[in-house]
Amino acid sequence: MKKALDRVVDAIDIETFLYCKTEEEAKELAEALALELNLPHGDIVFLEFKAWGARVRIRSYIHHPGDQYRWMETQEEK
Amino acid sequence: MTTVLLAPLDPVHDNAIKLIKRKLVDAGYDAVSMPPGTSPEEVIQKALELSPSAILVSRTLGYKVAEILSSLVDLAEAAGLRNTTRIGVGGMAITKEIGTELGFDGCFVGELKMGELIDFIENRISCNEVDAGQVSSRKKPDITGAYSYKFYDTTIENYLGVIADQVTNWVGKKTTDGIERAKVRMEMLECEVAERESRVNPDTRKRLLEKYIGFCDAEIKAFYQSEQLPNGVRWLGKSEIDKVPGLFDSAHGEFTPLRHTGTKPLFFSQYGTGCPVMDVFHIKVAEAWGIDGVFHFDPSWNAQREGLLEGHLTHEHDGTIITLENLKFIRHFMEPYTLWNVRGHRGLNTPETQVLGHAAGADLFKINIPYGSTAGGTDPQRLTVDGIYSLMLAAQYGIPFDIPGNDELSGVPPYKTFAGLLIMMALGLKLGARPIPKPLLCFSPYMTINGLMDDNMIEMNIAKLAVWRDIVDTPLWPGEPVGFMTHTPDRVQSALQTSLHATLASTMGVDAVTIASSDEAYSKGPISVQARVDTLRAVRDELRFQGSIKANITPAIESIKDEIHEKITATLKQVAERGDFVASIYEGLLGSQEDGLYPGRVGSGTVRE
Repeated sequence: MKKALDRVVDAIDIETFLYCKTEEEAKELAEALALELNLPHGDIVFLEFKAWGARVRIRSYIHHPGDQYRWMETQEEK
Repeated sequence: MTTVLLAPLDPVHDNAIKLIKRKLVDAGYDAVSMPPGTSPEEVIQKALELSPSAILVSRTLGYKVAEILSSLVDLAEAAGLRNTTRIGVGGMAITKEIGTELGFDGCFVGELKMGELIDFIENRISCNEVDAGQVSSRKKPDITGAYSYKFYDTTIENYLGVIADQVTNWVGKKTTDGIERAKVRMEMLECEVAERESRVNPDTRKRLLEKYIGFCDAEIKAFYQSEQLPNGVRWLGKSEIDKVPGLFDSAHGEFTPLRHTGTKPLFFSQYGTGCPVMDVFHIKVAEAWGIDGVFHFDPSWNAQREGLLEGHLTHEHDGTIITLENLKFIRHFMEPYTLWNVRGHRGLNTPETQVLGHAAGADLFKINIPYGSTAGGTDPQRLTVDGIYSLMLAAQYGIPFDIPGNDELSGVPPYKTFAGLLIMMALGLKLGARPIPKPLLCFSPYMTINGLMDDNMIEMNIAKLAVWRDIVDTPLWPGEPVGFMTHTPDRVQSALQTSLHATLASTMGVDAVTIASSDEAYSKGPISVQARVDTLRAVRDELRFQGSIKANITPAIESIKDEIHEKITATLKQVAERGDFVASIYEGLLGSQEDGLYPGRVGSGTVRE
C-alpha cells in the first residue's frame, strides 16, 4: 500500500490552540509547528490571538489543483 | 468641531473609511473623506488645507504597502504636520509591526473599535497602548435582582405552597452524614481563621478533623489517616502550582462580550478537565473569548463518596476534584467579573460543597433534588434532606442557586421536569434563597420517541421557555448546555447547533445560557481549548447575525406552550395530593421508570432523625 498521505485529496488542516503572549509569537509557533510535523509548505489559514493564546488553523496542501494526483494511482494499484 | 481627514490609500477599497466617517459624524466630528486611489501627496495637500486633528488612512491591498505608507509619513514630516496632527493607519494589509516601523502614531488592526479610534483622535491614549495593561471596569452581573418571583398562575402557586410545606415538615430535624460534615467543615474554616489570628488551640483543628473523618466512608478515611489517594489521583506539585501565575502575568484587556446588542443573555460554559491547572487555562481562554461565567464540574465518584478530600489534587478523568484548595486556586485566576457556579445538585457532599464553594468565592450554586436523586444519582430521601439544608445555606450566604432540568435527557417529558424545577423554586423561596430555573433546550428522547421535533426544533424549544412567562416572574437560564443531544463528533456541526440554540434562547429574552464546546458530547477524551473557542466564536457570529430580533409566538407555539402548562399543573396537583414529595419521586410522578428515570440509590438508608 502506498502512503496514506497520498490519499489526501487536497489539504491537511491542523486545528489547535497555542499558548503564547503575542500574535507574532503565535505566528512563529504555528510555522514552527508545521515544520515539526513535517507538513510541506504549511500556511497559517486562520489565527486569532487573544490574551493568553491563539486559535489557529495551519494548512498544508498535499495536492494542488493541476498536480498529478497520487490518489488517482490507487485505481492502478487495484 | 474637531476635524478628521480620512483617506483610502488604495485603488478600490474604501468601505472601512466610509463606515468610520459615518460613525465619526454620528459622534459629532467633522469627518472629511477622500476617494479611493488618493495619493500620499494629495492627502498631505488636503491636510494642509483643513488642519485636521488626525489623519486616518487605510490600505487593503498588500502591493507596495510599505512604500506608499512611508511616503505619507515622510511627506507629513516635511510639511510640518507631525506636531499638530496624529496619523493613524488601518486595513487588511496592515499589521501593528508595519504601522510602528513606518512611524505612524496609531495602528488599527482587526475588528473596528470606535472607542479606540476616538481616544486616538482625542490624543487620550495611544492605540498601541490600549491592549496592554487595561483594567476592565466591568461589574459582576446580577441574574436574579430584577425579578419579583410573583406567580401569575395562582393555582400552581397554591400547589407549590402545599408541596413546599410537606417537604420542609417531612425533613424536620432529619440529618445525614453529609450535613454533619458540612457543619464540621464550617467549624474547620472558622478554626483556620482563628489559627491565623492565634486565637485557637492548635489541637482544635486536629480534633475537628477526627470528627469529620467519623462521618466519612472508608476511602476518604484512608486519605486522611494514611495519605492514601484514590486510584488515579495525584498531588499537584508545588513547582506546578508556582508556575501558573507566570503563565497569566499579562493583562487580560477589556472584556468583549459575545452579545452584539443589549446586556443579556449572559453566557456560561462548564469546566472540569480533571486538573485545576488545565481548568485555569480553559477559563482564561473562555474569558478572553467573551464568556460571562463558568461552572465547576466535579467527577462522578466525588458525588458517590461520603466525604471530600483536601489539597491540590489532579487526575486524568472528567471532572475536577472538589477540595477547598482546588476551588480557591481556580477562583484566584478568574477575572473579578466572571461569575462562578459550583454545582452541588447531586451526590453525598451537596451541603459541604456549598460550604466550600462559599468559602472559595462562588457566586452561584446548583441544587436540584428531583434531578439529582434520579438517573444513577443519590437516594431521594437522602438528597431531599441534604438539598433542603443546602438551600438554607444558599439563603444564609445570599447566593442564588440554579436548577438544571437535565432529567429530560433520561426521557422525562418537559412538563414533569418543569414541575420539579418549580418545586425547587418554591422550596428555595420558602427558605429565603433566590432560584434560577434552567429549562433545557435539547433534542431529548421524549421528543425523538414522540416525534415532537420531527419538523423543526424551534417551536418546542420556544414553547418550553414561553410557558415560564405565563407562570412566574423569574429569571430563566436555558442549559445545561443548550443543544444537548444535537451534537455530533463534527466540530462545525456542533458549533452550529450550539450557536443556533443559544441565539434561539436569546430571542426569548432569557437571562443566561449555558453553551457547550464543540467537543462536549463526543470528544473521545477531555474537551480541548480550541473546541471552546469554536462555539464561542460561533455564538458571537450568530448573535451578530440575529441582532435584537425577538421570537414571535406563533399559534403552533402557543398550543404547545398551553399543553405543557396544563400538564405541569396536573403533575403538581398529583404531587400535592400524594402528600409526600419523596414518595412522589420514588413513584415516578416527576419522571417514571417508563419515562426512563430510576430513583437513585447512592446513600440509601443514611437519613436519621
